Amino acid sequence: MVQYTRDEMLDDDFYGEDEDTQKGKFLTFHMANEDYGIEIKHVTEIIGIQNVTEVPDMPDYVRGVINLRGKVIPIMDVRTRFKLPPREYDERTCIIVVNIDDKSVGLVVDKVNEVADIPDDQIEPPPRTKREGGGYIQGMGKIDEEVKILLDVTKLLYEDELEELDAVSQNSSE
Amino acid sequence: MSKDISSEDIEIIQDFIQESHDMLDQLEPTIIELGESCQSVNCWEILKCESDDCHRQGKEIDIPCWLHTGYVGNGLGICTHGSSEAECLSCQVFVMTNGDTETMNAIFRLFHSMKGSAGFLEFDNISRSAHAAENLLDLIRSGNIQMVPEHVDLLCKACDFANEALDYVEEHFNDEGMAEKAEEITSLLRDAIEDAQNRAKFIQEDTVQQGKKNDTHSSDEKASASEESEPDQQDLIGPEMIETFVLDAEDLLRRVELNLLKLIEQPSDEIILADLFREMHTFKGNCGFLNLGDFERLSHKVESVLGEYKEGDVLTDSDSTQLLINIVDTMQSGVADFSSDGDGTIDQLEMHLKSLDDLLQKISNAPPPIPDDAPRLGELLVEKGIINFEDIEEALEEQQKPLGDILIDMGKVTPELITTTLKEQHKIISQDADKKGKPKPRSLPVKRQDIRVDLEKLDNLINLIGEMVIAENMLVHNPDLEGMELENFNKAAQQMGKLVRELQEMAMIIRMIPVSGLFRRMIRLVHDLSTKSGKKVDLQLAGEETEIDKTVIETITDPLVHLLRNSLDHGLEPPEERNKAGKPEIGVLILSARHEEGEVWITLEDDGRGLNREKIIAKAIKNGLLEEESPDLSDKEVYNLIFQPGFSTAEVITNVSGRGVGMDVVKQNLNKIRGKVEVQSKPGRGTKITLRIPLTLAIIDGMLVRVGLSKCILPILNIREAFCPKSSSITITPDGEEIVRVRENFFPVIRLHEILGKEPDCMELEKGILIVLEYQDNSACLFVDEIMGQQQTVIKGLSDYIGSIPVISGCTILGNGQVCLILDTGNLVELKEGSEHAAALQELAQQQSAAEQAAN
Repeated sequence: MVQYTRDEMLDDDFYGEDEDTQKGKFLTFHMANEDYGIEIKHVTEIIGIQNVTEVPDMPDYVRGVINLRGKVIPIMDVRTRFKLPPREYDERTCIIVVNIDDKSVGLVVDKVNEVADIPDDQIEPPPRTKREGGGYIQGMGKIDEEVKILLDVTKLLYEDELEELDAVSQNSSE
Repeated sequence: MSKDISSEDIEIIQDFIQESHDMLDQLEPTIIELGESCQSVNCWEILKCESDDCHRQGKEIDIPCWLHTGYVGNGLGICTHGSSEAECLSCQVFVMTNGDTETMNAIFRLFHSMKGSAGFLEFDNISRSAHAAENLLDLIRSGNIQMVPEHVDLLCKACDFANEALDYVEEHFNDEGMAEKAEEITSLLRDAIEDAQNRAKFIQEDTVQQGKKNDTHSSDEKASASEESEPDQQDLIGPEMIETFVLDAEDLLRRVELNLLKLIEQPSDEIILADLFREMHTFKGNCGFLNLGDFERLSHKVESVLGEYKEGDVLTDSDSTQLLINIVDTMQSGVADFSSDGDGTIDQLEMHLKSLDDLLQKISNAPPPIPDDAPRLGELLVEKGIINFEDIEEALEEQQKPLGDILIDMGKVTPELITTTLKEQHKIISQDADKKGKPKPRSLPVKRQDIRVDLEKLDNLINLIGEMVIAENMLVHNPDLEGMELENFNKAAQQMGKLVRELQEMAMIIRMIPVSGLFRRMIRLVHDLSTKSGKKVDLQLAGEETEIDKTVIETITDPLVHLLRNSLDHGLEPPEERNKAGKPEIGVLILSARHEEGEVWITLEDDGRGLNREKIIAKAIKNGLLEEESPDLSDKEVYNLIFQPGFSTAEVITNVSGRGVGMDVVKQNLNKIRGKVEVQSKPGRGTKITLRIPLTLAIIDGMLVRVGLSKCILPILNIREAFCPKSSSITITPDGEEIVRVRENFFPVIRLHEILGKEPDCMELEKGILIVLEYQDNSACLFVDEIMGQQQTVIKGLSDYIGSIPVISGCTILGNGQVCLILDTGNLVELKEGSEHAAALQELAQQQSAAEQAAN
């Protein structure tokens, strides 16, 4: 499996460079007929699917942990996270390693596309829906005719507890 | 400091900050110790004074005698126990009221060197406050004022200020923001000095104005001289001279040492002695030239001893030679200290001088002066049953010659016996001297060489080594090599494997630091709290050398502070209550650390009133943590309630504790490092709280087990045995619990596949393997498919993102690079009880809500 590092993806962009050069750049990936994007500044690297060790007592979307060069990092299946039908992992399945607050998490996606420039004026606010998953959307990015769903990685990782709590409290108040 | 600071300056400042922080860490406990050792005493009681002329006789006078009738300050100089200021300052009464001179000097030196470095770096505020503290200390040590407890508090405050200012400097590279606080602390110190001086003056006026000798003046002069002699000397003597001196001195002392060692082999060899004498003389001269008074005095004494040996017919014995070697060691470390910007003084100089004096006297065949509290030769002999009192008395009557000789003459003892007993006496004296001179880290014989490294670099190193271990595994177990006979390769691979493992272990050890620093910080806390609450506490530390990972130490600092506060505020009773309960007035707190069951246990034990079970339950019911008709809870469960946030049984919230936050912090912080808290308590007898901390980076012996396709590691420490059960030994209780009988014991069965949510090879217990796990008092059987073998396991934490999972204590990376979970035996074993209890509680909760709905 081909391994890309962030440096390669960003060509002349190297570690420690001003964040400005990373602004407006999104890593796009494909999942169940839709294209998604996440801000490039969160992405550490992209690796192929690996042998995942399952961890008990975890929400179903947390697949388990993998060994990334001696570092143990948890893996989240974004498909399961969005309640999309599961799909067998294949040679195109990738793990995008993101780093939020010095914590690394791997995101399992169907296929990684490219790094795309989406300027601010091409991003529309997220549609107002009450449907599950709406909270993680940062905006809708337009590249020509295509639409990429831009995800807020922090919310993708951490929003769940809040939502679940909300759901619980709503249930109990009913 | 100007605004543009070069990186070199920053480095110097950072070094200064680090050094000063270290110094302050040392200072605080020393100051508190000093304060504790000081007390008001009656001079006539201590000295057994029988002089009727003295008007202090038999009276309890608040004014210390040395200011009053002694030779210090404006004392009358009529005390019969001393004849000079120096004698008065080394008098036992002075030491007991104003602190031990050695300790005082050590504190003074620390403040002085901080003042010096701060002044050099132009941190005026720090240097000003240090100077004020130094002034106070100087007055105390020179006996011009009396030491009072407030002084200790003030000095502690000065330390606090310095710490705070250093933090400020670390951020801003100047101390301008601290001016106000510096002014505050300086004026506090100044006031204290003034107060004390007024008091001293009052005494002076009160006493008859006798004697024209103005002692205050001379001692002031002396104090300022001791302060200024250093800069002067450093102005005169350039760094090159110091360098030459240090090189010379090191060489000389090394030769002296070698010659002394030779002397042990060839006693009284004239050539060696002459060499020694010459070398020592040169050293003395060099020291005198550089104005190093301490060195000069010490080397002069050594020279005298050597002179005696050289001139006289006295044979050198190995004991005295050993003493000289020790002295030379002291000089060597002194020189090393001086070369690294030390102040050229020798710690415990007086002690060394005294031991040399003793030696000199021994050589000139006179009985050494014996301190009052040391047992006398005769007493020792009587104690040993060699002679009786009558013999001694008879001998004492003609005590012109040394006692030993007389006894030999009398034919009561043999010369050999006297010699060995004399040696013993010497040992006792030197031991006593050791105890008196408080050991300071600087005087440790083994000088620790430290290097400060950025923690991140270290972590990177450890990660790299971790990767190397895995790479090595991949190499050695490479599929390409399968089926090949590679004798040489295997040898090399084995060698490499060994090296890699050693490297890994070393890297782990680097991160470990002893808990002593953490413990010593608690001394101050306990001191402050006990003064505030008026409770008397004796804090005992044990196992300070136990090493824990640095990050772990940082995490447990807060919990420890909270626990200590709780023990002092709630645990220990006030003195009156303790008296009533028949306990000694002073409460005992024991803080200890040790390795146990593959963890580090930090225990805090007090002998206070213990936890009140009824009170806790009542409060828990009030807070809604417990139901009214709760089942009979075990003590453990009750005590665990105190860790709930907001839980406090204190009626009154004091400024120390009572808000119910502390214990929650303890629990939270320990959870972070996967540690546990355990509480044991006996009403009226005390409470024992144990923090159980896993060695995060440690390597444990693990047993690899398999269930279905998953593998797990069990700590071997917790495994008692493993066996294939027979169907006859398995019982199923009506509520579906599986119980297995092992000889006399019954254990509940835990199915690992249920815990992991995996498909096992087989569901029947008889077809798998049961592993008996033991954790403290609890045991259980774990049902697995296969035991795959034993292996060294490097524990890694699961990601923060995953958080803590009760049954998993961490994970490790196997040889094939796969992540493998490590099971938490403790929680696993307790799971059985816990689940039943949880179910019971849930049932209760349901009943409750049903009742509420019915009521609505």
